[in-house]
Amino acid sequence: MANPLADPILLIFISGLFASGYLLANGRGKDGLEGTNRMLDGSLAFTVTGLLASAWTWVIYNDLVRNPMGGEFCATEGFVQCGSVIGDPRYNNFFGISWGMLGFTAFTALFFLILCIRMDPLAKWSEQYTNYAWWLGLAGVPFLFILIGIEIFVVQHICPFCTIAHLALIGYLIAVWMLRERRERSAWY
Amino acid sequence: MARRRRQLEPKGKDEDVRIMAGLITAAVVSIVIVASMFIAPPANVGPEEGSLAPDFIASGYNGGTWEEIRLSQLYDGRLVLITFLDTDCPHCWTEAEYLSELYEGSEGTVMFITIAVELAISGHDSSREEIEAFRDKTQFGDNQNNGDGCYSGKKNCAERPGGPHSWMYVDDLPLSIASEWDLPGTPFSVILDGQGTVLWNQAQPENHPSGEDMGNALLRLLGGE
Repeated sequence: MANPLADPILLIFISGLFASGYLLANGRGKDGLEGTNRMLDGSLAFTVTGLLASAWTWVIYNDLVRNPMGGEFCATEGFVQCGSVIGDPRYNNFFGISWGMLGFTAFTALFFLILCIRMDPLAKWSEQYTNYAWWLGLAGVPFLFILIGIEIFVVQHICPFCTIAHLALIGYLIAVWMLRERRERSAWY
Repeated sequence: MARRRRQLEPKGKDEDVRIMAGLITAAVVSIVIVASMFIAPPANVGPEEGSLAPDFIASGYNGGTWEEIRLSQLYDGRLVLITFLDTDCPHCWTEAEYLSELYEGSEGTVMFITIAVELAISGHDSSREEIEAFRDKTQFGDNQNNGDGCYSGKKNCAERPGGPHSWMYVDDLPLSIASEWDLPGTPFSVILDGQGTVLWNQAQPENHPSGEDMGNALLRLLGGE
């Protein structure tokens, strides 16, 4: 694949990030439960984008394990590529588990929490779940720094699909922070 | 009687939606996993026969300088004999001689790779210089049992039996490769096909003809037996 930035799947993921951001911004401008629901839709969209991007990096990982010299789902040359990041056996796993699968698992948990809140934002437990969603999302931040550090300073290549997952987590954290803040100023419903 | 109006807090749904949310999450996850596995099935990676050998990037020495090598980049279609040795292990001393004989007999039909490890045993204190001396059969240490040299530091590496080795030695003194390859001890050998699939693992004798060692296995796999 010559130009990874022209990859249609990457463009779909980028669209997912923009759509998530739009829903979040749109919800923030609305009062009451309608706005809250729209913001929850944005948070949910961030988790879905992260979940799918992580799954896609797992696909690339599986492909590169079989074809280390060049898989068919992402470029293996150039600054923006997957081969030197997902294809590097030293850095592409965490105690034997691929980063893609770990990200997929983490986003699944976040997806579940936000989905629960979205399905019943007025439930007694929804405030507690919003806090869980915040702290669980924050737990991913150290891994985010480790992975970005490896990409920039160690292998010196940027993996575009990994970056989508990283941005999805950042977007998700912003969304949940806004939701918590909405609750604190009694604007939840 | 005056009735005071009180603003009611909105109430959540009567049923607990969390079970339904869990079911939806499980369905989404299942669909994504099945689709991902359909697009690129996970490879069975490990040192067991039939699995794809764990790939590694490490420093390799081929007689010149130490250079970064990657196992999967070395595959060229030939069988690959990977042997884990510890320069201080007495059994590896004799194994090195056997490897010299096999290398001579294989006439280039097999790629030899030796992975040098340092087992956590008293007296096993290796280094890159010691690995080089073991491979090249050059002077390193003496025979004074003072900890210098090969064979638990008891012998000069130049006295190793067999000829100098002319194939790649890989530095795995930190045992990171050994850990991924489930190294049971040294010497230990695995034979791969030309694409990196494990054909023969010394630790799985139940799969092999009775009493088969790596030399017999190479013969059988090369079609000579």
